[in-house]
Amino acid sequence: MKMNMKSLRVLATLLLALPAISCNRTTSGKRQFFVAFSQANNAEPYRAAQNELMTRLFTQAGDVNLVIADAQQDNSKQIAQVETFIRQHPDLLIVAPNERAALTAVMGEAMEQKIPVICLERDILQPNYTTLVHSDNIVIGRMAGEFIRDYLISKYKQPKGNVVEIHGLLGVEAAINRHKGATDVLAAYPNIKVIADPVADWIQARAKDRMTEVLRGQSSIDVVYAHNDPMAVGAYLAAKELGREHEMIFVGVDGLGGPAGGIKKVADGILAATFVYPLCVDKTVEIALQMLRNPSFHPAREYTVAPQLVTPQNAAELYKQTTLTQ
Amino acid sequence: MPNPILQLSEIDKSFDGTHALRGASFSLFRGEVHALMGENGAGKSTLARIIAGATSADNGKLLLEGSPVVINGPRDAQRVGISIIFQELDLFPHLTVAENIAIGNHQFSRQFKQRRFVRVADLDSFCKPFLDQVGLTRSPRCEVRTLTTGERQLVAIARALSMRARIIVMDEPTSSLFDDAVERLFKLIVELKRQGVSVVYVSHKMDEIFRICDRVTVMRDGQTIDTRAIQDVSPAELIRMMIGKEWQSRDRKPIELSSEAILSFSGVTTAKLRDVSFDLRKGEVLGIAGLLGSGRSEIGSVLIGLDRCRQGRISMHGNHLSIGSVREAQTAGIRWVPEDRKLEGLMMQMSIQENCTISDLGAFSRAGFVKRKREYNRTMELFHGLSLKAASTDLPVSTLSGGNQQKVLLSRCLLANSDLIFLDDPTRGIDVGAKEDIYKIIEQLASQNKGILLVSSELPELLRCCDRILVMREGAVAAELTAGNTTQEEILTFATQAPAQVRGHA
Amino acid sequence: MSIPVIRSFISFWKRMNGQKQDAVKSLGALAVIFILAVLVSPTTATGSNIFLQLGNLTDVLRQGSIVGIISLAMTFVILTGGIDLSVGSILALSTTVVALVLTRWQHGPSYPLEIATAIFIALLVSTTSGALSGAIIAVFDVQPFVVTLAGMIGIRGLAKWLSNNANVDVGFGQDVASTFAAIFRGKTITIACYAILAAVFYILLSRTIFGRYVRAVGDNERAALYAGLPIRRVKLWVYSLSGLLAGFAGVLYAAENHQGNPNAGVGYELDAIAAVVIGGTRLSGGKGTIAGTIIGTLMIGVLTNMLRLNNVDSNVEMMIKGGIILLAVALQKQGRQAR
Repeated sequence: MKMNMKSLRVLATLLLALPAISCNRTTSGKRQFFVAFSQANNAEPYRAAQNELMTRLFTQAGDVNLVIADAQQDNSKQIAQVETFIRQHPDLLIVAPNERAALTAVMGEAMEQKIPVICLERDILQPNYTTLVHSDNIVIGRMAGEFIRDYLISKYKQPKGNVVEIHGLLGVEAAINRHKGATDVLAAYPNIKVIADPVADWIQARAKDRMTEVLRGQSSIDVVYAHNDPMAVGAYLAAKELGREHEMIFVGVDGLGGPAGGIKKVADGILAATFVYPLCVDKTVEIALQMLRNPSFHPAREYTVAPQLVTPQNAAELYKQTTLTQ
Repeated sequence: MPNPILQLSEIDKSFDGTHALRGASFSLFRGEVHALMGENGAGKSTLARIIAGATSADNGKLLLEGSPVVINGPRDAQRVGISIIFQELDLFPHLTVAENIAIGNHQFSRQFKQRRFVRVADLDSFCKPFLDQVGLTRSPRCEVRTLTTGERQLVAIARALSMRARIIVMDEPTSSLFDDAVERLFKLIVELKRQGVSVVYVSHKMDEIFRICDRVTVMRDGQTIDTRAIQDVSPAELIRMMIGKEWQSRDRKPIELSSEAILSFSGVTTAKLRDVSFDLRKGEVLGIAGLLGSGRSEIGSVLIGLDRCRQGRISMHGNHLSIGSVREAQTAGIRWVPEDRKLEGLMMQMSIQENCTISDLGAFSRAGFVKRKREYNRTMELFHGLSLKAASTDLPVSTLSGGNQQKVLLSRCLLANSDLIFLDDPTRGIDVGAKEDIYKIIEQLASQNKGILLVSSELPELLRCCDRILVMREGAVAAELTAGNTTQEEILTFATQAPAQVRGHA
Repeated sequence: MSIPVIRSFISFWKRMNGQKQDAVKSLGALAVIFILAVLVSPTTATGSNIFLQLGNLTDVLRQGSIVGIISLAMTFVILTGGIDLSVGSILALSTTVVALVLTRWQHGPSYPLEIATAIFIALLVSTTSGALSGAIIAVFDVQPFVVTLAGMIGIRGLAKWLSNNANVDVGFGQDVASTFAAIFRGKTITIACYAILAAVFYILLSRTIFGRYVRAVGDNERAALYAGLPIRRVKLWVYSLSGLLAGFAGVLYAAENHQGNPNAGVGYELDAIAAVVIGGTRLSGGKGTIAGTIIGTLMIGVLTNMLRLNNVDSNVEMMIKGGIILLAVALQKQGRQAR
């Protein structure tokens, strides 16, 4: 019996200390707007960069209390977290959906509760949001396709070659559209063949494993096109281990700044090209602040942020820029 | 008068709402063999466990050589030189004999602490003297699970000896030993006495207690009734102290056996049995005697469908029986009470009521749903007939004493009203009072024209309860004797030596 | 006045058998956590307690239903002394099957019939998976951990193969798949399913012969064998039920998430086991109740909700959950005696 009481007291103290343990709060003096952000997966570097930028910008704003929840790539978890946010009736809800189908309904519930919703970067099946801030992945895919075509023409004097495409998580809009955009361009050239298309779920280690398997089965590869930079780097490492890294070029997407990001990889010669897939956070925070501070402001349905091609020509300059601001 | 080496006073202990001990006391001198007697639930096992550190008292004083000592577990007990050999042995079946003796044994660690790795030769050399002392001839390298219950008991005793205990508590040590092993144990105890080791001897067996013990303490209802020197007391007096009233022994009256055979074994051969043949008549109690491993339990195994009959026939009521599973045996009207009630018989966490009815739930249910009321009524009826008292039939069966647990197993046979009952050592580790109850039940069943096979290690018990006795030796029938016409010596002779001829006294 | 009351309570308590004592203790723990959640809950602008809002409480029930359903059958499995690691994968298979059938069905007779058929097929596939594990465990006497581990890996592979590694999206239109999702994602239906299944399994365990057999097999398999119980049949049924309920949970999951997802349910088997263990069932088998499991599920649900309402980082949330599991088991040990 004694042990029971002691344990219960420990438990109670621990749980009452909760408010102190709660993290991800930014505070300031004046009237605080409560902004809730449901992030799909803190573990991805792209999303970690989103979180960091958003936290910084909202802190600078001074009148926003930002809370970030991490769904760790689990749909049910994200749905539950959004539901719990709805209970707390935030002034603004920002959602970066883990998967389109799963999050559609619950975001609709938020809308029904008169909570303004910004859908960040990934689209959902129905327009259950106040506004969508994204970049067009089809444009990126197309730019990638054109880059690949131009490279192959310069290599072989005609549009032909072997391409390996490494896919991100299959249910996700980014993967679908980066694939579609590129395929639309390359379809016009029957001699440009996609000889392998493994799936690596955005993860570098997985891409390395898949690429190793592809390398064993393919003797001649010209281009590796991965849907994000970590996967492209993973492919590079696989090729390097087998001594074939000079046989092909590696193209990725994301173009994050900082020493671990894609821009540096282009500057260092590991990637032949990448596309800055904007975090979309600058625009989001801009629109969010307007929505919060100005009740009569009606945002547009959709905001598209343009991507940018990064090649060895502009990599060094871009790196300096982005690393300073980030 | 020298001071006692061990002294307990005002010991209280409760389990699950029942008082096991109330103000109990006990004292032990150096080099003494002190018997601890009492009925079911009298508290002697609990007291023994408290001495050995297996349980702790709720309150009370414990003095070792005059100074208070706190024993918080078996390791503490080992360190101060107290060792216990449990009635239900606590050996590791998948480890070898030597490993079982050496494990957690600080004598072994002390002797071999230089070594980084334990060598099998070390284990062997450490154990050899003690195995010889207890008379176990099996190799120290064989796994304990291959040993019979009696052999395992010898290993447990060897282990206690190897820990150089000053006080050894033995809880029903001879419950599965046949007479020759018992002799060896007694010689051992006398030797230990000479070396100044004290023994607390928890037992029901009157003749053993009078043979080797110096003093005896009787307990009843959790209290210490009295402590007397063995020469100053008689068995009748002890029994009176234990059950609080007069007690008379009654032998089984010889009866007229019907000629109709319930069960017939002819030439049955299995992995362990060789050409076993016998008949069991209606209303007869047939005892099965023999040394450990002689095949007595194996008769039950083949009857119940656990062993395959390679040759020969088993018939019931004249019809050939081919039993492939326990269920089939039960349908044919055969029930059995296994040897080890905790390992093989009861579901310890389930309630008393549930344990009683588990094999016959069909009788108490409709469409798969159990009718608790009907079940309760029937089990209470049975328990009343068995003199089984429990605070509530919903309590787990682990709260009952050994004797009552055995009664629950017996109640299963009564519940099913089966024609043929196989009892394997049903009174092992049970006190006088409960034994009498069980003998009464056996008589009752026999008078209802059921057939009963009774395996037992206690010859007096066989002589008392049975009409005939089958003596097994090395898997074959060594003799078929009439209980009224034979003696313990004769049974023992057939069990241990090659039979000249089978003398049938049917 | 109070002393005779206390004394009679103590004697009443002592006479309750261990199982009932455990249930009361668990209920007490749940009450403590509930009260704590109320105390630390944030309040709305108008001052009402957010945690106690009916909408939030039903949220908690709904969020816990899917793993809760799996836990019901897991209780039975663990009671027999076994374990089922494949339930998460069976859930994934079920979501994939039901979504595939519904989205590929072009011209069906009528929506209710199509939906019923799709659900039936998903349940059939799930139960078969469970039965396969059960058969291997029962007949060949292979350890449940190993068999269901193999199932966990193999069945997920099957799910991924069937859907070609992709998710099967269910839209928001008027087609049969969307209708299915619209109906079965509802809070009421999800909670009702859990409640009904909980009641069914409660009765199954405490009132039927089968329930007794399950406990007996886990308590002492050898004694159960010697008592003539149909051990193989019991094991086969128990794993089949586990597959069935995992399949059921998968159907609800597909509706809630609007997709068939072969990557779903990772780690759900551990969540289910956690609920069962917190509820007082021992992993060695023989001792446990459905009531305990339900309480365990609710405890985890309330705790998670409390932490989320206070915006505790999800990793801290997991550490606390781990701590709770250890605490629950330690408290249960206190009640056990030396015998």
